[in-house]
Amino acid sequence: MIAKKVLLVGNFGVGKTSLIRRFVLNEFSEDYISTIGVRVSSKILKVDSTEIKLLIWDVAGTSDDEKVPKAYFMGSSAAMYVFDLSRQETYTNLEERLALVKQLSGLKEITLVGNKKDLLTEDELAVVLQSISTHIDLVTSAKEDDNVEDAFLALAKQSLN
Amino acid sequence: MKKAAEDHTKDKRFELLIDLLLADDRQDISLLKEELLEAKNFKSKVDPFVDAKIEDLRQNFPVYFGDTITETIKVQIKESQDEVVEALYPIMGKLVKKFIASEIAKLFESINNTINEKFSVKSIIKRFFKGKKTNAQDVLQEVFEPVVEELFVIGKESGLLIGSYSRGNIADKDMVSGMLTAIKAFAEDAFSKEGQDLEDIKFETFQLSMMNFKSIYLATATSGVLNAEFKDRLTDSLNNLADTILRNRDYLADESKLNKLLEEVLKDLEQK
Repeated sequence: MIAKKVLLVGNFGVGKTSLIRRFVLNEFSEDYISTIGVRVSSKILKVDSTEIKLLIWDVAGTSDDEKVPKAYFMGSSAAMYVFDLSRQETYTNLEERLALVKQLSGLKEITLVGNKKDLLTEDELAVVLQSISTHIDLVTSAKEDDNVEDAFLALAKQSLN
Repeated sequence: MKKAAEDHTKDKRFELLIDLLLADDRQDISLLKEELLEAKNFKSKVDPFVDAKIEDLRQNFPVYFGDTITETIKVQIKESQDEVVEALYPIMGKLVKKFIASEIAKLFESINNTINEKFSVKSIIKRFFKGKKTNAQDVLQEVFEPVVEELFVIGKESGLLIGSYSRGNIADKDMVSGMLTAIKAFAEDAFSKEGQDLEDIKFETFQLSMMNFKSIYLATATSGVLNAEFKDRLTDSLNNLADTILRNRDYLADESKLNKLLEEVLKDLEQK
C-alpha cells in the first residue's frame, strides 16, 4: 500500500481538526478543539483502484506571527489550505498564505477549501465567494458532513500526481 | 315566674359581657381560621408543582449542578491542599508500601534465580574462559536485561514509516512514526542549534533513541537498564543496519524485506 504525507494548514479555528475528525472517525464534536502545533492522523482510502494511506498532518497556523517548524512541511505529497467562510480574517491575503505554504513544502499545487458553509446563508456564501479572487476547490461543512470526503479525495489524488 | 325572668336577664347580660370581652379574640381566631384555610388551599394547589420540581431536580441533579459542584470541589481542594494531602497520605502510603514490597519480592526472587544460575559450576567455567564481566555486572545484566521492544525505520523528512519490528502491540505504527517525527522536528526547532538532532526521549521504563542518517532515521524503544556495553552493541548493530539499507535501496521500497532484515539484526543483537 502507498503511504503519503499530506498537510492540512490554515488559521486557528477554521475547522481543520473537525474536517479530519469527520473524515477519519466519521463523527463531529461540538467541542472546540484547539490544536497545538501539529497532530498526525491516518486514513486508508481508495483512489480509483489504488489503495492509499494518508498520513494527515494537521498543522496549526501559517501566518507570520505563528512560528511553525519548517520541518512539518517537508516531505509532504499534497496540502490542503482551509479557511473559515464565516471569518474574513482567515481568507484575506490568501495568495500570500498559499505562496508561503508552497515555499515551505515545495509543493506546486495546494487544494483550497472554504469550511463552515453551514454558518452562512446561500446569499452570504455567494457574496463571500465573489470577494475571493483565488480559485476555491471545494466548499465544505465538517458539521454537516458536506463535501468532506470529496475534499480528502482531492487531496489524495493530488498526492499521487 | 319573676325569678325566672330575672335569671334570663342575667344570662343575657353575662353573654353580652362575654361577647364584649372576647370580641377581639374571636375576630383574631376567625382571621387565623381564614389564613389557615387559605394556606391549606394554597398548599394543595402548589404541592404538585413542588413535587414535580423536586422529582425533576432528583432526576437531573448532575445536569443542573454538576458543573457547579465540580467547580466547588476543585476550589475546595485547591484551598485545602494540606487537608487533602493529610487525608490521602495514609491511603497512598499504604499503596506505595504494598507496591514496593511486592516489587522487592520479585526482584529478590529474580536475583536469587540469577545467582543460582550464574554460580553454577557450568557458568563459572564458562565465565573463566570468557573472562569479560564482573560477577556484579553479570547478575545485574540478567536482572534488568535491556530489550529492544520496537525498531522503526522512518523517512527523515516525511515521517513515513518504511519498516518496523515490534514486540508490543502498537495500534497505528504509521501515526506513531508521524508524531515521533513531529516531536523530533519541534524539539530540534525549539531547542537545538542548527544541525543538531534529538536523540533520546525517556519515559517510565522506556527509552526512545533516534539515530539520524541522511534520508532516514532509526527509532528504537528499549526497556530495562541500558548499560554502556549494550548501548555500544546496539549502536553498532543500528549503524550496520543503516549501512545495509542505504547501500541497497531496494529495502526502502520493500517493506516485508526490510522487516525481515530488522528481525535478523535484533536476533543477532540478542545473541551477542
